[in-house]
Amino acid sequence: MDDIDFFGLRELFTRNRILLCFNGPISRSLIEEIGNALKNYLHADNAQPSAAMDVFGAYIEMTQNIRHYALRQGYGEAESSATILVARDDGGAYVVQAGNVVETADGEQLTARVGQLAGLDKAALKAAYKEQLRRPRDEAASSGAGLGLIDIARKSSRPLAARLMPMPDGKAFFSLQAVI
Amino acid sequence: MTTSFNIPPSQSTPAISADWDAGVLAISGDSYPENSFDFFTATIEWIESFLAASGNRALRLDLSLVYMNTSSVKAMMDIFDLLEEAHAKGRAVSVDWYYDPRNERVEILAEEFREDCSFPFNITARN
Repeated sequence: MDDIDFFGLRELFTRNRILLCFNGPISRSLIEEIGNALKNYLHADNAQPSAAMDVFGAYIEMTQNIRHYALRQGYGEAESSATILVARDDGGAYVVQAGNVVETADGEQLTARVGQLAGLDKAALKAAYKEQLRRPRDEAASSGAGLGLIDIARKSSRPLAARLMPMPDGKAFFSLQAVI
Repeated sequence: MTTSFNIPPSQSTPAISADWDAGVLAISGDSYPENSFDFFTATIEWIESFLAASGNRALRLDLSLVYMNTSSVKAMMDIFDLLEEAHAKGRAVSVDWYYDPRNERVEILAEEFREDCSFPFNITARN
């Protein structure tokens, strides 16, 4: 194994103002524990209660979407992994980003959905949210990640950004970024 | 379930207390369980039993919810739908939602629920 450039990793974290980063298999309890750490960071960072709740909410919706997807797909531990990052950008806004391995077709559908949401203003997002909320549960579940995505979009100060990186075996790495 | 019950709070679930004799259901704290539908099933069944019971007694929800994930929001909407249905049949139902004035997100959350309800729904700031 190559020696890890630990100092370089630290520099990378510092330069990008990364508050929290995680990469690996994610369980229900781990989501809660990391969520707790995030709450404490935000508190120590003197974030406004409403901003702190939006950042926490974006984190919860992203990670629970990843968990639900992995469970639905019957993925093993390695594929149930998530990569999570919370940072501050140059302007002091919070950036919440999460990614996971998905089937390419699902990733393409998700990316298209994020693109659609990016074109909606706050009023249209609220209408989409209420419409999705009224959909029957089984229908909402099959489309996947519907309500959570709209919720994250509503909390964001900028349009959501999604990326899809091809991987072997018909899979892809999907990542979503929200700026709060 | 024609009795009272108490669910203590956990990291990701709110405290719930249902008082059959008083006709009050109180929910307080954060709510973001992975499976909200399962978590709220007992509460929804309790409300259904209470509203189906004879005596036409009033039901009041005392809510101090803070952060809710989207699946909790959906479960809460199911609860308000039950209240709306009972209200349409002439039953006295009401909601009192208390929020910390330092966090306007909670007030907005409560207001969005209230938009779809025609029964008495009070939203009050409380430190």
